[in-house]
Amino acid sequence: MQHAERWITREMLVAFLIFGTLPLWVDSVGLYSYIGVEVVIWMIFALGFNLLLGYTGLPSFGHGAFFGIGGYAFGWFQFNMMPNLWLALLFAIVMTSIIGALVALFVSHRRGIYFALLTIAFGQIFFFIASKWTSLTGGEDGMLNIKRLPADFGFVSFSLQDNTALYFFVFIVFALVVIVLWRLTHSPFGKVIRAIKQNEMRVGFLGYNVYFYKWMVFTISCAVSGLAGGLFAMAQEGAYVQVMSLQWSGIVVLMTLIGGGFVSFWGAVVGTVVFFLARDLLGTYTEAWLLWYGLMFMVLVMFKPEGIAGMWQDAVKALRRRQIVASSPSAHPVGK
Amino acid sequence: MDFLYNLLPHLVNGIALGLLFALIALGFMLIIGVMEVINLAHGSLFALGAYIALVIITPEGGLAMPFLENWFGIAIVPRYVAALILAPFVVAFVGMGLEFCLRRTYGKDPLYGLLLTFGAALVIEEAIRVIWGHGEYVLPIPKEIRGGFIHADLIWSTYRVYAAIFSIAMIGLLWLFIEKTPYGAIIKAGAHDSEMVRALGINLPKLRTLVFGFGTALAAIAGIIMAPIWGIRPQVGVDAVVPAFVVIVLGGIGSFWGAVIAGLMVGMVVGLTAAFFSDWSLLSMYLLLLAVVTFRARGLLGKASALEN
Repeated sequence: MQHAERWITREMLVAFLIFGTLPLWVDSVGLYSYIGVEVVIWMIFALGFNLLLGYTGLPSFGHGAFFGIGGYAFGWFQFNMMPNLWLALLFAIVMTSIIGALVALFVSHRRGIYFALLTIAFGQIFFFIASKWTSLTGGEDGMLNIKRLPADFGFVSFSLQDNTALYFFVFIVFALVVIVLWRLTHSPFGKVIRAIKQNEMRVGFLGYNVYFYKWMVFTISCAVSGLAGGLFAMAQEGAYVQVMSLQWSGIVVLMTLIGGGFVSFWGAVVGTVVFFLARDLLGTYTEAWLLWYGLMFMVLVMFKPEGIAGMWQDAVKALRRRQIVASSPSAHPVGK
Repeated sequence: MDFLYNLLPHLVNGIALGLLFALIALGFMLIIGVMEVINLAHGSLFALGAYIALVIITPEGGLAMPFLENWFGIAIVPRYVAALILAPFVVAFVGMGLEFCLRRTYGKDPLYGLLLTFGAALVIEEAIRVIWGHGEYVLPIPKEIRGGFIHADLIWSTYRVYAAIFSIAMIGLLWLFIEKTPYGAIIKAGAHDSEMVRALGINLPKLRTLVFGFGTALAAIAGIIMAPIWGIRPQVGVDAVVPAFVVIVLGGIGSFWGAVIAGLMVGMVVGLTAAFFSDWSLLSMYLLLLAVVTFRARGLLGKASALEN
């Protein structure tokens, strides 16, 4: 039993229950099925990104590039190699891992603001290449007509044309990513990267190869982003260059921070949900929803950088303290 | 020789661009030096400067009110000069407001300052979209600095020459201000050792607010000068802030001449690649950055700074 808890936690079951049943109730709360697909894909992306920001304390402002590369790789593979979903997704992961690993060679010796600046530079390089290399990426128009390939298990094959079917597929991928990343962040490797966030020099003194760990976590993060990018290209039936822009790279930072990626594994997930809800709910009232979202972000950075997850943890702590006070004998007046 | 001769106009364009990049970067660096904050909103404030200049110069900018008819009726030169003086002040006030928000992040991880200014960049850019719409504007300029002239069989753009001279003058003034006035000495001291500056009885919070305002005013000036070259559109901020980063990292944080040299290098590289592969011209500056930073982590003339932590 204890062994199972290392792989599946209570929070995970709650999350899986909510997102696993989403198509059943999403219409009744006034949203639509396709938004679920987008939210879950961006959750995968944000979880991968949060390995860097939340766990290792490395602010990458160019992560949209890897999301975009994943999409192009997915499209290129199904056009030029073979239209097989598994291999195309694998190719997206492998390509982004390779490119991410190369970038990581340059950035893993940096931290803090220099790291942020270099990732901006790399993000812009890939953005420019993607928007100018029209024969490969379709440039500003994007890579069009990417197919939603069927999920073929050999003996049975599911068509993912329908949004609900696609939703369940990305949900299963999401669940796997959650489990894998949860294990990763709660393994010795995860402890080391968290220690790097706290005090990089000290981790070095303890004999860990800090650069290798940073390189590794950057590469893993890119691989997850590439997977999300491939799924996103499939969902949108096209890969577009906009997601690689500095603005979109920044939005994933915003999402992760608002949700509370600094203090919780689930921060990235919560933040993505908040972002898409803000987009769809605020978006119906005002075209300038991003303005209000940005203001919310600024207020949060000023007053509560731990984000929504931080507020939740504070609330839980306060509640528990009250319970302890209430149950302790001294809380009851003697004369009662 | 002919080949080099034909390159000359591109080189001059590149130098003009480089001087403007240096100007953007210097405002940016002033803020990094004293506050140890990377102001990601610098580009948005640059764009805001251009928009406010637009409001002052033409009724198209949104101030088409009857009582202002007389103002828009006068010659363009005084309107342009007024814009060049007033717009930086307006932007400086916005910048000081941003500094006020930033105060809560002092003493914490520098990442928070970075994130806050990123949020501010988004907010300012969206606010520009709300106020002025998505479209592109053209900043009217006096006819004295429009058009081109022929010199030594080559066509030169008058505006680029004007922009280059203006930038040189601004950079020179800034250098005089920082190196030769007591205010500059205080700013430099604040960047070097803020504790000591405070111990000497200088109001550090006020100094920081003023420096932030000053830095953003420089962004606004650069925005106005750049507007006729790049056009005015909401997302122009990103086009400005990214080269400014590149220049700062390349030149080394905290080095005045490093930023000027790096600005010129970036400008020339962009200008020369534009001559051969115009689509790829902006890419070249990132490659330059990578080449330099790989071998010299602190950039060309950089010193150790708190930002490396």
